[in-house]
Amino acid sequence: MSQTTVDNARASKPPSPWKPAKPLKKLNNPNAVLSLNGRWAFLFTAPFFVMFLIFGLAPILFSIVIAFYNYDALGTQEFIGTANFEELFVDSRFWNALVNTIDIWLLSTIPMLIMSIGLAAILHNPNLRGSTFFRTILLVPNITSVLAIAIVFGQLFGRDFGMVNIIIGALGFEHVDFIQGTTSSHIAIASMIVWRWTGYNALIFLAAMLAIPGELYESASLDGAGKWKQFIYVTLPSLRNTITFVLIVGTIGGLQVFAEPLILGGSYNGGDSGQFSTLTLFLFEQAFVAYKWGYAAAIGIMITVIVAIVSVINFFITRRLAGDGK
Amino acid sequence: MVVAQQLNGEATTHKENLMSKKLMSLKAAALLASAALTMGVLGFISPAAAVVDCTKATTSTNECTVLTVNTFGDVIQPALVADYRKLRPDIKLSIKKSDLDALNGTGLFTQCAAGGAGNPDIAAVEISYSGFWRAYPQCFFDLTKLKNTNNKSAADIKKDYLPWRWEHGVGYNDAVIGIPTDVGGLEVSYRWDLFKLAGLPYQRDAVSKEWSTWTKFIAFGKKYLAATKTAKFKAGLAALAKTGTSDNKKFYASQKPIGFMDNIGTVYPAVMNQGTEKYYRNNGTDAGQLVYKTNKQVKLAFDTTVSASTAAIGTRIGQFSSDWNVGMSKGTFAVMLSPAWMMDYIKGQAPDTKGKWDIADIPGGGGNQGGSQLSIPKGAKEPQEAWNFISWYLAPAQQLKVFQTYGLFPSTPSLYSNPDLIGFKDPFFNNAPVGKIYADGVKKLKPIFEGKLQRCIDMAMGSAISLVANGKEKNAKKAFDGGILAAGKCK
Repeated sequence: MSQTTVDNARASKPPSPWKPAKPLKKLNNPNAVLSLNGRWAFLFTAPFFVMFLIFGLAPILFSIVIAFYNYDALGTQEFIGTANFEELFVDSRFWNALVNTIDIWLLSTIPMLIMSIGLAAILHNPNLRGSTFFRTILLVPNITSVLAIAIVFGQLFGRDFGMVNIIIGALGFEHVDFIQGTTSSHIAIASMIVWRWTGYNALIFLAAMLAIPGELYESASLDGAGKWKQFIYVTLPSLRNTITFVLIVGTIGGLQVFAEPLILGGSYNGGDSGQFSTLTLFLFEQAFVAYKWGYAAAIGIMITVIVAIVSVINFFITRRLAGDGK
Repeated sequence: MVVAQQLNGEATTHKENLMSKKLMSLKAAALLASAALTMGVLGFISPAAAVVDCTKATTSTNECTVLTVNTFGDVIQPALVADYRKLRPDIKLSIKKSDLDALNGTGLFTQCAAGGAGNPDIAAVEISYSGFWRAYPQCFFDLTKLKNTNNKSAADIKKDYLPWRWEHGVGYNDAVIGIPTDVGGLEVSYRWDLFKLAGLPYQRDAVSKEWSTWTKFIAFGKKYLAATKTAKFKAGLAALAKTGTSDNKKFYASQKPIGFMDNIGTVYPAVMNQGTEKYYRNNGTDAGQLVYKTNKQVKLAFDTTVSASTAAIGTRIGQFSSDWNVGMSKGTFAVMLSPAWMMDYIKGQAPDTKGKWDIADIPGGGGNQGGSQLSIPKGAKEPQEAWNFISWYLAPAQQLKVFQTYGLFPSTPSLYSNPDLIGFKDPFFNNAPVGKIYADGVKKLKPIFEGKLQRCIDMAMGSAISLVANGKEKNAKKAFDGGILAAGKCK
């Protein structure tokens, strides 16, 4: 494997989602587009910004404010400073939910990443027949209602009559009480996430693979690289930005896992001992079951901070791993 | 039990009352005016068109009055809705059902905070929320201020209902915010065929006598469990799988007894409801006094559950999980504490167990679990028609029909001596006189005060119970103290 191949791969990598695209060239006819760039632009972008202000920014600002209140929506509201945050830092339920969330995220993201790149590589094979069909069915899990998935998986993982346990029993092992156990319930939830998102991510990876110029593979094979080496030294480095993108989107989603544990346990507490309570489930429980809106707002702010921290860590780690080093 | 009037209430609440009265009379006037107008216009065009039939596709929908109902489970029964349609063809009921508590709890709360926008005309409120909503009567119409077509308000129909059940729907300032639907009278469903195989008493009177107290109930469970492990029991089950119809053979071949009762966590609320107070003491005020830390009934209920856990008579299956649904027909457990509404659930989930269940009295005597109330939340667009429907739907005659068709037990005591109810036998439950059994149980209950934090404390204690019930916490005292500590965070 020569250094040239890798450099070529870098030179022609797909556009980074993190860098702005090159500015458009000025058109010869100034009336065509440039006039739109002035005040008209505000009008055309207004629908988004008006909605965003009402349903995006205003609730965010409101929740930041009420995080400092003991906020009874139907009764009195009392300013209590940072008391909500102080309570949160010593609330074992919060730390339990955080650990659960990270565990579920790791258990789902790593297998999903490997499987979706693998699937994409298979679909990338030009000799594969009916590739359109396979590309289409990969998306089917993703358009299935998450509630339906959770109900079906909940039955699959049932203790006495779940299909997974029937197989475990047939192999001669003791039945596993997936829902009662901590790690086992995390595996059950992670499997739902993996099932739902692997196909979707495989398509994203496939799109990125299709953008890798064929000459890279040609020169690699001239250098004597087999299929596997081509995959390791050409495909993977070219997917660097895509992996970062999928990981960050996956992190944001993974830290917001909600419907799966809710349906699996059938209640907002995330299992009897909160063994699969997640951050968002805990937030929802505090806001809409215990009706402590101020406390729930504080949890929401903490989730935002955590997502930001993890995303930054993610960003640097993946760039390192992919060998860019910049 | 009567929630004492808060005579020294703040001036604002009086003002609010006055205002809502004014608002009500304005609304009533507007309603009358619009009704008169509609009638007049219709009369002018064609006298025959005065009766609108919304069931016909040809009827334009803007002539119908649409009543929106948010409900869950079996609270609103389709057969009764069909009856009402015949009675009032001009009303179109638009029913939304949700089994997560998004609609009846969370939805009402946020929508009340938003001034009632988006609320339905009628909301079914589950009983565990009733204590909470009592503190916020401003979120509902006061049903004593509405009159139905027979000129009756909630105050006039109060005498028809169980007094302790009625109080669950009485908010602070004595506003009536909800009318009770069913009473979840609690008894015990058991698989008499499995009891017989185990060589235990299996006839309902004998069984009721055998487990007259919770201690005896737990001892009975241990005996049953020991028997299921014997060769004789297994041989008996195998013999049954070879006799009778093919359905019978198939059924007994699939039986897999694991535990005595489904989940011992259900013992806790059952014991608790047999007392006179739970987490609150009725001290004459609207809010009541929190006594959960010192109330002996709470400790008794907890300790009883712990001894059931120590005896390992439960299967540790969560109720309403898929294993529970399947287990009901596989003999995984032979006993379930069953509120009246559970009978219909068992029939739905385990139709192949028909005739193999029976119902005995609950240990300790009398029990209640569940039930709900119908309310008209603030923001309802048709409060008058909503009240007409509620007062019709929950009248004794309709509750009797609901019991006969769906097994929900009525909250109107006049029916408890009605031969149609007392004489009602259910073939699914081995012809048990379910009407009489549940009526006797419900009569034994004493009123219990439900306060604002009821639900929150219940959930905290429920988690502690689950830890013990599922074997995650061996130290019962630690679990109890943890529950009390968590309950202290409720506010």
